[in-house]
Amino acid sequence: MAWPTIDRQSPVTDSDAPPLLSDEVKAKIRSFFERYETRRAALLPALHVVQESLGYISWRAMDEVATVLDIPASEVFDVVTFYTHYWTKPRGKKTIVVCRSITCELMGAGVLLEAFKRHLGVGEGETTPDGAYSLATEECLAQCDHAPCVLINEKKHGRVKPDDVPALLADPDNDKLEVPRSDLYDPVLGEDATTRPRGGERKG
Amino acid sequence: MGDYEPVLLRNVGVEGAATIGVYKKRGGYRALAKALKMTPDEVVEEVKAAALRGRGGAGFPAGVKWGFLPKDRDVTYLCVNGDESEPPTFSNRVLMENDPHQLIEGTIISAYATQSSIAYVYLRVEFHELFHILQRAIDEAYAAGYLGKNILGSGYDLECYIHRGAGAYICGEETGLIESIEGKRGWPRNKPPFPAVEGLFHKPTVVNNVETLCNVPHIIERGAGWFTGIGPPGSSGPKLFCVCGPVNRPGCYEGPMTITVRDLIYGDAYGQGMIGDRKVKAVLPGGISMGILTGDELDMKMDFADPAEYGLLGLGTAAAVVVSEDTDIRVVLRSIAQFFAHESCGQCTQCREGTSWMYKIARRIAAGEGGPGDLEVMYETAGNLGMMPGLSICGLSDGAAFPIRTLIEKFRGELEQHVREAPDEIEQRSPSTVRS
Amino acid sequence: MPKIEIDGIEVECRDGITVLQAALEAGWSVPHYCYHPGLSVVASCRLCLMEMQMPSPKGGGMEWSSKLVPSCQVPVKNGLVVRFASDQVKRNQRRVMEFLLLNHPLDCPVCDQAGECLLQDYSYEFGDPTSRMRDEKHKSPKKDIGPRTLLYSDRCVLCTRCVRFTREITGTHDLCVTHRGSENEIDVFPGKALDNPLQGNVVDLCPVGALLDKDFLFKQRVWFLKRTKSICPGCSTGCAVSVDSNEGVVYRLKPRYNPGVNDWWMCDEGRFGWKYMHDANRITAPVIRRGGVTGTPPWDSVPEIVDARLRAVIEAHGPDKVAVVLSPMMACEEAWLLVRFLRSVASEATLVLGPVPIQGQLQMFPVGSTGDAVRFTIRREKCPNRRGVETIIAETGGPTLSFEVFCEQATAGAFAAAWIVGGYPEPWVTKDFAKAVGQLEFVVAQDLFPNEVTEVATLVLPACGFAQREGSFMNFGGRIQPFDRAIAPPDGAKGDGQYLYELAGFTGLYSGRAVREMMAQEIHLFSMVKEAPPMPVHQH
Repeated sequence: MAWPTIDRQSPVTDSDAPPLLSDEVKAKIRSFFERYETRRAALLPALHVVQESLGYISWRAMDEVATVLDIPASEVFDVVTFYTHYWTKPRGKKTIVVCRSITCELMGAGVLLEAFKRHLGVGEGETTPDGAYSLATEECLAQCDHAPCVLINEKKHGRVKPDDVPALLADPDNDKLEVPRSDLYDPVLGEDATTRPRGGERKG
Repeated sequence: MGDYEPVLLRNVGVEGAATIGVYKKRGGYRALAKALKMTPDEVVEEVKAAALRGRGGAGFPAGVKWGFLPKDRDVTYLCVNGDESEPPTFSNRVLMENDPHQLIEGTIISAYATQSSIAYVYLRVEFHELFHILQRAIDEAYAAGYLGKNILGSGYDLECYIHRGAGAYICGEETGLIESIEGKRGWPRNKPPFPAVEGLFHKPTVVNNVETLCNVPHIIERGAGWFTGIGPPGSSGPKLFCVCGPVNRPGCYEGPMTITVRDLIYGDAYGQGMIGDRKVKAVLPGGISMGILTGDELDMKMDFADPAEYGLLGLGTAAAVVVSEDTDIRVVLRSIAQFFAHESCGQCTQCREGTSWMYKIARRIAAGEGGPGDLEVMYETAGNLGMMPGLSICGLSDGAAFPIRTLIEKFRGELEQHVREAPDEIEQRSPSTVRS
Repeated sequence: MPKIEIDGIEVECRDGITVLQAALEAGWSVPHYCYHPGLSVVASCRLCLMEMQMPSPKGGGMEWSSKLVPSCQVPVKNGLVVRFASDQVKRNQRRVMEFLLLNHPLDCPVCDQAGECLLQDYSYEFGDPTSRMRDEKHKSPKKDIGPRTLLYSDRCVLCTRCVRFTREITGTHDLCVTHRGSENEIDVFPGKALDNPLQGNVVDLCPVGALLDKDFLFKQRVWFLKRTKSICPGCSTGCAVSVDSNEGVVYRLKPRYNPGVNDWWMCDEGRFGWKYMHDANRITAPVIRRGGVTGTPPWDSVPEIVDARLRAVIEAHGPDKVAVVLSPMMACEEAWLLVRFLRSVASEATLVLGPVPIQGQLQMFPVGSTGDAVRFTIRREKCPNRRGVETIIAETGGPTLSFEVFCEQATAGAFAAAWIVGGYPEPWVTKDFAKAVGQLEFVVAQDLFPNEVTEVATLVLPACGFAQREGSFMNFGGRIQPFDRAIAPPDGAKGDGQYLYELAGFTGLYSGRAVREMMAQEIHLFSMVKEAPPMPVHQH
């Protein structure tokens, strides 16, 4: 046929294959088991923990999560790709999400997105070469009273004007929450360099 | 309307209201103590008597929903629907961010009424800050003995967990939500069986919206009679309304369901008029799913009955986005079509294919490449979607169909100009030009 | 038996089925993709929708509901009134067909499924001839999802039958749906290919050309194929299959619905286990050895040769020095004819059942299931008719020996002549057996491939593969299932049944059915044949 065939018989080697899930991450995943009747139900929390820990959900991580939950790897693949918040490729240290739904669009989200693209030098779905930022859009973030709104990791920013973008990007605390955090879904921070905190430098 | 005393939002803006101490000082958890002295059936009866209709969009009476639970059940689950993803709705966010204990109290009372052993709060993942606020409040409630074993010495036990979503509008549909808690893709289930009979983990389950549950403590404390005394029959009780877009004071406001769309946009207690006195071109008053109104239809009452008179699907989430006269209507059409194409779960043929087709057409029309027949195809396609005509498993596609159908019906003239007479591109608008 | 009304016609239907099933069984043509009687109901393709009468909300009597209802989901109930012949129903069918073709590549000329494709058939019967789609099509990739199967995602209609099959029937969960909305695709986890022992069924289940069998890919247009009812000889389960062939060549096997035996399914071992029939090494003509000289006798002379040589042996050594080794690969009819012939010449001939190949483990599906939860079984006994041949031996009476004892006694010189039937696709002659055969004065070997026995036999007769024969097999549970001849024996060969029929003194053409009727006179059991039901017009 004129177009290539994707080989699914061979495993995919992740570009920068992160290490196996640490025992701490697995323990964190297992800590959700008691909340549900089935282990399978811990899948969404497990994937959140993995993504926070590794920065993304690699093929290898999917397979390992499947093992921890004792479910088929195909069903982890199924779930990971259904939900837009899980990503299967590495992203920058911070992800900027620009809301693209109706209110934000009416209030200028299109121009705002262009401003981010210009200042970051990347397109939608891309990461800056230094790995600092990834840029994405999402449907309604339920911050329509503050349209146009933007999320930088966990932190929301409302009524952002294109002119605000340079200052916003320069602010090292632009992803730092003002409220006390709960560590329920937090990554397990080990010695390993590949684990990385998000949502600000809360360890000081 | 100016003299309306907020109930659901009474703690908004109060310093420290998200903490248990302040919440209790302001009368919090009294309703819970009262409810626990009643029998679960008495609580159900009280909520039934109040005719509290679900605030999530469908308006189904909450007490009646609880009444569907089979008598001889062992385990019951309560799911709190905090997936708030309907553009442009943010009332649940306002409730949970500012007054998380009100939701927790409502959840405990409702769980007691339904004899649920676990309450799962399904929270959309984008509510990061809110998650931390709510989780902290839940921790406080556990510490204070409002959650866990033997609540307030009543012998009733309840666990309450937050289950974070992962970015899928469809998980706000109650069976999509249940599937998502079970660790699956949020594909809605065929009904029957309804969740009340076979829901989460195949057990009897009740799914209620955040705002619905926030009403429960007040009904218990003040009585069903107080509740039915607010607003018109069939649309009783306090209601949250969102208004946003180019209005002077976008926000979430509380009032009786006697207000009109005009009140919501122009009222002193609400949106306080349009930025720069622009004229209203259109309003999507119930979230985008319910359909669109023209600037001449602002007398529509924000209740459960009146929207149908204007060709709309219903009251929906009572969240209005206002479109001003200087906006090209194609922006609205494209935005709505894009949303539903992105959020259709893809299970049913009509919705999966129809939403993406409509988006392709809407995008092309917006790019100035519309042609003869495009509007007809889109209009007809919107007529070939939906649960109401039996063409899909869930109501998402009704929500995709109504705004597009009503928009084409009510703005056909303007659309035809762009499609037939002068295909042209839309001018991009900056936030600074909107707000200045 | 509930009675329902479809389009104004009263239909009596089986209990516990859905309206769709009832309508299909009663001859209605109702389009459907996601529904399959062997899988759970998901009601997601929304093509089988119907109108139904419901109690009027205003009270007082029934009225047509404004809402369409999936007929695959509504159980039949006495008095139910439905209709498919309505504008609303037809409009929906037209629209669904249009929706499903929006992004379809319309590449029928290069698609294997063409000719048996439910997109083609339904478009023709229920769809519009033109599409109103002006925009670019969404193009989904082609994926190599397993050693035997390809997935053309762009032809997929997302009915999820294949996914449900791997979840509900095999329990292997190889397939899944990925992504969302119009981006939905069927997939496997990379590196965990679709490779379960029943995987070929997903190709059968696929109503369109999305899942394709690599073995069949681009080999043959389906409208050239002749379908012949057969029984898989791969194991003692006895799956009903269809042998699809053209001009004497088999191209593929497909399962036939056979409730209680294989339902709608078959295993890959059976599905791809027919290749040996077209192997170039097969014995295709009789061979005779006389004092170191090998020749090919004309078929006409075979009965004479056998008769004369056997009589000579009997005269020299006695009538108890003759044995016949019957194969569990034989049809009941063939075994019966052979026994009848040999006993007519040598009345005390010993009957022996040849080796019964046992391989691997009993495999039950879904994986890990037991008891009533088992949906499909692959058996260890890799032959179709041990029970049938055993029955014939037992009912015939007279001297019999087990294969092992026969080998011992023959090695010790207890026999002078034997007729040995093989017919196994795999090599089967052991050293001990070859040694035993070496002691015999006169050997007739009836087999597929040359081996240690055919090398020394006085007379070698070609055996045929199952698709070249007809008769019946008795499966593990004692069910006697007939099978038809799909293709002719190789050039030069004659069907086993045919020459055995002639040896047994009959003239004319061998017919499995006719022989079975004769057998039934002697062994009543053989009157109880169980055929798989005919496939419905609108198959699933």
